[in-house]
Amino acid sequence: MFAGLIDNYTQQIIIFTGINVIAAFSFFAPFKTGQVSLGQAGFMAIGAYASAVFTQKFGFPFAVSLPCAALLAGVVGVVVGFPALRIKGIYLLLLTLGFGEIVSVIALSWDYVGGAQGYRNIPFNPRTLGYVLGVVVVLIIFFGRLERSSLGRAMDSIHQDETAAEVMGIDVVRIKLMAFGLGAAIAGLAGALYAHQATYIDSTTFNIMMGVEILTFVVVGGGSTYWGPVAGALMLSLLPEFLRTLRDWLELVPVSMTDFFPLNRVYDFLHEFLDFENAKRLIVYGLILMLMMIVRPDGLLTRDALRRFSWRRTPRHA
Amino acid sequence: MIYQQLINGLMLGASYSLVAIGYTLIFGVLNLLYFAHGEVFMVGAFVGLFLVVHLGLGIYGALLGAMVACAALGVISVFVAIRPVPKDRPLAPLISTIGLTIVLQNAAVYFIGGQQLAFPETIKQTLYHVGPVTVSSTQLFILGVAVTLMVLLWLFIEHSKTGRGIRAVAENHETAALLGVDVNRIVLITFVIGSGIAGIAGVLDGLKNSSVSPFMGLGAAVKGLIVMLLGGLGNVPGAMVAGLMLGMIEILSSAYIGTTERDLFSFLILILILLFRPTALFGTRTAEQR
Repeated sequence: MFAGLIDNYTQQIIIFTGINVIAAFSFFAPFKTGQVSLGQAGFMAIGAYASAVFTQKFGFPFAVSLPCAALLAGVVGVVVGFPALRIKGIYLLLLTLGFGEIVSVIALSWDYVGGAQGYRNIPFNPRTLGYVLGVVVVLIIFFGRLERSSLGRAMDSIHQDETAAEVMGIDVVRIKLMAFGLGAAIAGLAGALYAHQATYIDSTTFNIMMGVEILTFVVVGGGSTYWGPVAGALMLSLLPEFLRTLRDWLELVPVSMTDFFPLNRVYDFLHEFLDFENAKRLIVYGLILMLMMIVRPDGLLTRDALRRFSWRRTPRHA
Repeated sequence: MIYQQLINGLMLGASYSLVAIGYTLIFGVLNLLYFAHGEVFMVGAFVGLFLVVHLGLGIYGALLGAMVACAALGVISVFVAIRPVPKDRPLAPLISTIGLTIVLQNAAVYFIGGQQLAFPETIKQTLYHVGPVTVSSTQLFILGVAVTLMVLLWLFIEHSKTGRGIRAVAENHETAALLGVDVNRIVLITFVIGSGIAGIAGVLDGLKNSSVSPFMGLGAAVKGLIVMLLGGLGNVPGAMVAGLMLGMIEILSSAYIGTTERDLFSFLILILILLFRPTALFGTRTAEQR
């Protein structure tokens, strides 16, 4: 659909940014009830491997394998969500981290899904871009509706004070489990979309650092509103691309304007400095994470910030 | 055979213990999962390598230099990633230390390159045969340094005034502050001690594997976390014993079950502990559940 309009490289970037947005939403769903998970990459791995097996070994079309993969990840999510009910804070962080690692060890040692060689030749899906954008739009609408619904408010109240929420008659166990399962299913979607774009996955694709990265998307973007995960994932995924283009912009400056003493030195320095190869780019990324937490510890977007930009004078529900 | 495996497990576990001690100390006083600790360990290994290769120092010089450099790094990280970040938001310091992790790892890749570097043999290799067991001088050295450090640290925490301060802050920030403990100073000292020990652990790890790499930090960090949990969050002697235990469990499971299953075992232990005994094997100093 879009293939004729934009080049391949841009298309890749949009797809992977979109997958990051979906992954950020997968963290956001359990986070809305106060559950912090470092294991979303593990659920992505389940979705990715499941969809690869469904399409390649069972011959499912992608449109069928995608929801099946999400469903499977969601079921595993509910199973993991049960023990997760009992613990919180750093213990939950460690539990989900351990879960993610167990998934990758299983992927490494299970030969049916490729074992140490990884899963090769996953059917490439030429329409991934459309799917990704579609899923992102659906998720934004869904979480937007959720934020204003009674269920969303119940989730927020569990986040703030579980005991108080229970006293108010909210079924804390059911809602927390549902949120965890929903998050896992969304992660499964992200993983399946990833698998059919990259066509190759192995046990290190969905590693600890990916789980950590998904967490940073939401915290940097802002965890109190559904625009936060979108903003965080967009900002942190596009940042490397932005750094890449800085030097191109510098090269647009005509030579005649910089070809005399103090400016040519400045130009040369900047030209050298803006040569962001991978390691340097990641250093800047890390520095920005640190800076963000000092300047905006609640994240880029908060409810108050959004209210200021809102066209509605008074919020519909105070 | 089994005795040999137990000895090997002890060697592996000693380095896990050293990393976990730093984690558990820092978790104790700050209630924070200090993500960058594995990278401090990695920096220690590279400082040690630099001192041995470029300055021609012996192993003791390397250990001392790595300890000092990492202690300084610990102080820097307090000032750039802990103090400026508001304390009432639990995830903010986690993210800022994740940022620090990414910066340190990629700074190492940027300056040194992404490949492994060989760690020279600085100790004369001799093999000692004791009954059915064979031990090398390097292994003995590593074990000796690790045990000495742990004993010194334990004495310091249990019997010095500063150690008492660390225990007080670990139990309760406000009460400790009311009783006249300078909490900021204690946090700084904790980072100095934890990071210094991680630096030594890094050099010992380089010695053990004969190589160092910019990516060695993450693995050490994850194992350190498991050990911290196994020993009880904030429990220093617990971390020491749990490290040795995890080392033995890993060696035994890879010897008798299989190498790929080795990591599976450590994570299964992590999850079983979390589910059935969150206060861990030896109990946590701070009993309240977080």
